[in-house]
Amino acid sequence: MKQTKRSIIVFLGPAVLLYVLVFFYPVLRTSMMSLFEMNNISSPVREWGFVGFDNYAKLLNTQLFRISMINIGKIWLFTGIATLGLAMLLALILTQGLKFQKFFRASVYLPNVIAAVAVGYMWLLFVFSKSKFGLLTSLFNFLGWEKMAQFQWLSGENLFLSMCIAYVFSNTGYFMMMYIAAMENISQDYYDSALIEGANIFQRFLYITLPLIKGVLGMSTVLWTTRTIGFFALAQVFSNTSTFTPMLYTYRTLFATEAGSESVNPGIAAASAVVMTLTAVIVSQSLKHLIRTENYEI
Amino acid sequence: MNHKRKMISGLKKELLRLPGYMLVIIWVGFTFFMIGWIILASFSTTREIFTGNLLASGLHFSNYTKALVANKGLQNVINSVIYTVPSCCLTILVCAPAAYCISRFSFRGNGLIQKLILIGLAIPGIMIIMPLFSVFNTLKLSGTHFTLIFLYTATSVPYTTFFLMPFFAGISPTYEDAAAIDGCGPVRCFWHIMFPLVQPAIVTITIFNFISKWNEYFMALVFANKSGLRSIGVGLYQIVSSLMISGDYAGMFASVVIVFMPTVVIYAFLSDKIITGVTAGGVKG
Repeated sequence: MKQTKRSIIVFLGPAVLLYVLVFFYPVLRTSMMSLFEMNNISSPVREWGFVGFDNYAKLLNTQLFRISMINIGKIWLFTGIATLGLAMLLALILTQGLKFQKFFRASVYLPNVIAAVAVGYMWLLFVFSKSKFGLLTSLFNFLGWEKMAQFQWLSGENLFLSMCIAYVFSNTGYFMMMYIAAMENISQDYYDSALIEGANIFQRFLYITLPLIKGVLGMSTVLWTTRTIGFFALAQVFSNTSTFTPMLYTYRTLFATEAGSESVNPGIAAASAVVMTLTAVIVSQSLKHLIRTENYEI
Repeated sequence: MNHKRKMISGLKKELLRLPGYMLVIIWVGFTFFMIGWIILASFSTTREIFTGNLLASGLHFSNYTKALVANKGLQNVINSVIYTVPSCCLTILVCAPAAYCISRFSFRGNGLIQKLILIGLAIPGIMIIMPLFSVFNTLKLSGTHFTLIFLYTATSVPYTTFFLMPFFAGISPTYEDAAAIDGCGPVRCFWHIMFPLVQPAIVTITIFNFISKWNEYFMALVFANKSGLRSIGVGLYQIVSSLMISGDYAGMFASVVIVFMPTVVIYAFLSDKIITGVTAGGVKG
């Protein structure tokens, strides 16, 4: 068929234009902003003052930013292990041909379609509530586990743990669906012959399922990384220093809209955005690399 | 005899699955209990919530009228519709031709464009909002619904294009050949022949886009955190923050229900479509 230049431009033009406007140009300009000093986010370029890497130096010396980076590291690692582990476990269970399997799958995924702010409040106002109606409090009271019923889910040092539990709950379904899709791509023949050879359920998982879904497994860790770097809504709902994330830090450095916010400094906010993006890129690239080299060993 | 043995082995199989059943039932039971309790609480009075007698005095629809009207819940819902529906349509108008072109035409730069799409998928929102904010300010567009419609459309381009590409790639080239012989130009051929062929994929990605835009929070907070512009998520944060002071738990739960009900109802009917929209990206990538 005739592929004129004109029709390529007609088909691709709008998408390329939007991409340039919303990804290409902003990424370049944010990177540039991070090397300058300015009064506010809308200051024109002629009012910017070049400061080199000063913004980065200041940023890395800011206590709150460091706390937020450590927090996001903890969320990435511990919440990541919990989320992906539970997703794998549930995916394994829900590919065994259980009764109501389809319904169970859909129900585990359900929290993913609820806005993060609403999920946050469901946990904050009901599940973790210390009032008599709080779900965990009344559950443990009912079971007679008084120690657990007394647990202060929302007090200072426990708030971070509580937020992570809520995050695991609302993300597990997404990764479970991904693993299920991958597991269902594996031919049943492998399992049949393994059964004849007398492999038990753990051997079948370890030597058949796991190697064959390795690609998706790697993909899921990369997706987890890009997801967690944007951790924001829950951090704002559970608002506290102990639950601070880089995204929230950057937001507050850009817009001093709330009590307790720091002074506005777009240059530092831009530096923070660059640090976050680079962190995510480096982590996901190394994950990709790690999984690829392992593949060669087989 | 054989039949009996079969039954016993079947029973044994189910017994082995018991721990699996238990875990899944606890997980799912918890989810439904949480959602169910909050819905019941949203129809009760705050006093009943605290004394543990939900719905003791019947259904209180006043929680909802208050949440929708006095607390502007309805306006937030309307705003969210204004943001999501046009941007879902625009996304398809822009991405379907692009996906078609990338997956079926060979031209210089095709590989580069595919790479850029993958990069676009990984760029966090924080990296792009600052320059856009100042551009919208300069163009005097901040404080209008246009900003979020535009942003939701543009930021959906990478995933939507990426999702649609394999569907266009799978169509037989005979359709285009036949259209060309009949004197049908490439643009008409696309909209009249190719586009209808991938309709199921279009529906899937649109539902998926709708839900993610409906639930989007960060950009909505940055670009539409003004009275009259707030989306459901940003509005909920503001409503609960102010109701927390008066301790109006019934009102807070009603506001939470208003936010999650639309997507939960859509999901109840279209869960298959939504799940394919999610898994396609991960598995094929």
